[in-house]
Amino acid sequence: MLLKTKKLMKAFGGLKAINKVDFELPANEIRGIIGPNGSGKSTFFNLVSGVYEPDPGSYIEFDGKDITNEPPHKVGELGLARTFQLLRLYQDMSVINNVMSGYHTLVPYSFIDAVTGRKKIWDQEKNIKEEMMELLSFVGLADYAELNASELSGGQRRLLVLARAIAGKPKLLMLDEPAAGLSPVNVDNLMKILMRLKEKYGLTLIIIEHILKVVMDTCSKVTVLDHGEKIAEGTPTQIKDDNAVIEAYLGKKMDDEEMRKALAV
Amino acid sequence: MDKFKEIIRQYPFLGFVIAFIILMLVPSVFFTDLYQSHLASLICINIIVAAGLNIVKGFCGQVTVGHVGIYAVGSYTAGCMFLYLGSGLWLTLPAAILIAGLFGMAFAIPSFRLEGPYLALATLGGGEAIRLFIENGDFFMSTYGISNIPQPIIFGVPFDTPDKYYYIAMPIMLIAIYFSFSVLRSSVGRAFMAVREDPISAAASGINVKKHKMLAFVLSAMFAGGAGAVYAHLPPGYIHPNNYTVIEMVTFLAMVVFGGLGHIWGGIIGAIIITIVYDLTRPLYEYQLFIFGLTIVLTILFMPKGIGGFIDKYFIDRRFKTKTGAASK
Amino acid sequence: MKKINIIFSSLLLAVSLLVTSVAQAKDIKIGVSFRMLSDVGYKHGELIQDTVAEWNSSGGINGKKVDLILYNDECKSEKGVANATKLAYQDNVHVIIGSSCSSVTLPMVPVITKAKVPQIIPHSTSSKITLTGSEWIFRVPVSSRFYKIVQAKFTAENAGTKIAHIYVPDQASMDFSKSMIAYVKDEYGVDPVYEAQAGEKETDFRSYLLKAKATNPDALVCSGLVDETVRCLVQSYEVGIPKSVARVANSVASKVEVPTNAGKAAVGVSYAAAFAASDTRPIAKDFVKHIKKRYGVVPGHDFSQMEDLLTMLKPALEKAEKGFSGDLASDRKAVRDSIAGITNFTGLASGPISFCAAGSPECRDGNRTPVMIEYTKGGKNWKTKVAGTVTFNASAGL
Ligand SMILES: Nc1ncnc2c1ncn2[C@@H]1O[C@H](COP(=O)(O)OP(=O)(O)OP(=O)(O)O)[C@@H](O)[C@H]1O
Ligand SMILES: [Mg+2]
Repeated sequence: MLLKTKKLMKAFGGLKAINKVDFELPANEIRGIIGPNGSGKSTFFNLVSGVYEPDPGSYIEFDGKDITNEPPHKVGELGLARTFQLLRLYQDMSVINNVMSGYHTLVPYSFIDAVTGRKKIWDQEKNIKEEMMELLSFVGLADYAELNASELSGGQRRLLVLARAIAGKPKLLMLDEPAAGLSPVNVDNLMKILMRLKEKYGLTLIIIEHILKVVMDTCSKVTVLDHGEKIAEGTPTQIKDDNAVIEAYLGKKMDDEEMRKALAV
Repeated sequence: MDKFKEIIRQYPFLGFVIAFIILMLVPSVFFTDLYQSHLASLICINIIVAAGLNIVKGFCGQVTVGHVGIYAVGSYTAGCMFLYLGSGLWLTLPAAILIAGLFGMAFAIPSFRLEGPYLALATLGGGEAIRLFIENGDFFMSTYGISNIPQPIIFGVPFDTPDKYYYIAMPIMLIAIYFSFSVLRSSVGRAFMAVREDPISAAASGINVKKHKMLAFVLSAMFAGGAGAVYAHLPPGYIHPNNYTVIEMVTFLAMVVFGGLGHIWGGIIGAIIITIVYDLTRPLYEYQLFIFGLTIVLTILFMPKGIGGFIDKYFIDRRFKTKTGAASK
Repeated sequence: MKKINIIFSSLLLAVSLLVTSVAQAKDIKIGVSFRMLSDVGYKHGELIQDTVAEWNSSGGINGKKVDLILYNDECKSEKGVANATKLAYQDNVHVIIGSSCSSVTLPMVPVITKAKVPQIIPHSTSSKITLTGSEWIFRVPVSSRFYKIVQAKFTAENAGTKIAHIYVPDQASMDFSKSMIAYVKDEYGVDPVYEAQAGEKETDFRSYLLKAKATNPDALVCSGLVDETVRCLVQSYEVGIPKSVARVANSVASKVEVPTNAGKAAVGVSYAAAFAASDTRPIAKDFVKHIKKRYGVVPGHDFSQMEDLLTMLKPALEKAEKGFSGDLASDRKAVRDSIAGITNFTGLASGPISFCAAGSPECRDGNRTPVMIEYTKGGKNWKTKVAGTVTFNASAGL
């Protein structure tokens, strides 16, 4: 298993945002996480990536290592990358610098090298930049490399956070609503790029998404959260028919026509 | 020209050698009196402080209003080492850098928990505490200052006049700039910016936020300490606690803001312009504070990224337009 | 590379701007650097400007116009040193006036000495300044080495040498009594009749005062901060120490709280000053009236010392100008020698003032006569009079 949680718990005051969630993800899978607003999806990401400290008794393992109480940068170093629901772009940095700072853990030279400004650094920096430019062209942002991230459009920003997360060549990439707010055409485009990136870098993915079509089309398995608890897990078809899911998430059983509409959002 | 640019990029050290040669020649070509040398040395000292301040404030985004205290630590390390040990600049400078670095560590600690105005208050308190400590200690010769801090003697030539001391301050300034450029153009500089922009996503990229805050504070403190020592030995070699108040801090901040926060040239441009403008407005002493306040306000309002950001914007826009064909309009 | 171009060209532009401010020959140039921070600070600056404007409108210095260059040093040595350097090397002045704070004047001295520009001090009192041995520095105010022992000398000469000391353990208060005791011992070979250190923030001095009373002293020294001084003075009457015993306080006596809070007990207490607005000499009365009318303030010692400085500088410049050769270095030397030749100048403030050629404190602490001011009435509407002067020999307090 690439990622494993056991009895993962997090309470905010009396609110159990994540309640005893056991989760297992083998390498190379694309996993969807769905659930109503406030069901704890983002909190799950924050716990796994170390942004929040899990409550005692929880256990998180990544790539065979116990990361339960590791700080976020340690988790990042181990090869777990993520995006944020609110993007958290480096607004006041150029597009290329955004991506290059995603490469941080792979930089081959030391701090002392950097301070003394040895020549080899500039060669290495050149290589890093070339590689990152390649990544930018891959997502279609190469022309914007020197612009400030804040000057990008909403769709371009989503591509940029994606590129930044991939820059560090992670083993696992967790995407928090990567397509939120995009027009259907742009959603398709983003998903296409994402699939190509997965191929290219051999990524394992977890995607939180409200657009059910995306989840149903791309994910091999879906985990459903409600009120912080895992209420169902299975293939998209299994989930579609699961009574608990329908109750919690879709509200009521839909006929095929209604379902088609819902999925086509 | 492009070829030249490429060479400089490949061998940044070469750029500094060229700058060194040019700056060595500046006095004999342009200076007509000793005061200009004195001013040039002051500019060098201010550049060192401002370049350092730009690391912590401009790049790493950590507000500090206590830097002038660390500058004082540098000066008084040099002053006291001369007073009690008889040391000269070549000993006091590394010592000042080292001790200032330690103080930088102490200043970094509040930044782990505090942000913005709270961090500003904490560092302000730190800086003022240092000044008050110096002001009330007989050990530091507080009332009448420390006098006659000597200038270096190289090959029997004492560098004890403003025109000569420029040749001490200028190379030290260049070395400081070299270090600042090296750091800021490397992955460390990028990590600083990432910490400034968003510590949470920086951490998600594997950047150790605390470590980089600490690095930024220590590095910039070392710059301030070095500058403090160079100032202490500046002829006539006199230091007094009055020169390390909040007003000086605001001036240093003005340099960085005006030059361009987070711009690699920011502190340098700002230090040059502000020092010269200050000098030119010397006879207008009644309006000086007003002029400076106005400069800062107008800069923040109309040029939030300072001169450096302004220049950058111009070049980047042009490059972008040529690339995307937007220029054809 | 373009960016580097811009930086360098702007640097060069700025430098060439500086170059344009080259001196115009012929005029006599006076450079000033002192603290002009508060409203009163600016008014000191106005006083100089107005005075020099008057000189110029009445024929200048032997027909030559005087160019005044006025800089603020904000009581910061960094600014003072820069000002001195600029005035000496760029503005090419003949003489520098400055500064207010001793911590600014001190580092200016090596600068002007190297540059060989005479400097004349309006306000700084630290004895260290003239101890540097510079031949280019002159001081108008009374040096701190005289101020330190003026109360001792005044008391011994006027009240007697049987002195009782009560002081609090504050550094300045102890120093005052100790140096007074040392002075009387050195000069007269007499020990104090009574010496006691009261507690910090002491409220009840009566037990000490009763013991002091028993020794039947000529003078009683109450050395403390404002509050302790006031209590000690008031209680000295409560325990019945007669009026004929002189009451002495340290320099806190010049603070308005002392006469205001001590009331009647402040009468007879004196302090040393460079100038008193209550000075009854016509010259002083006129000056006070003039300053009040023109600048709306009652002049203190800083106004009067600046006025004295300018008054003695003018004839010195006139004398020097006759020997001007047009060569700046020799003209500056002429100004220096001319100022060094000032003898027995009597002005508003303490004095007379005499300088001499050597670069020693004996020659350059020209003012050796502080004025003693005495309270004649206490309470809210307190009044003072000039009680007399104390004149020191040139090497006193060294
Ligand atoms: N830092 C926090 N402090 C207090 N409560 C929090 C915090 N973070 C999350 N919560 C609460 O935990 C619950 C789960 O929030 P979370 O953001 O994980 O939901 P989500 O499933 O991502 O919802 P959405 O689909 O709207 O993004 C919510 O009730 C939220 O208010
Ligand atoms: Mg969420």
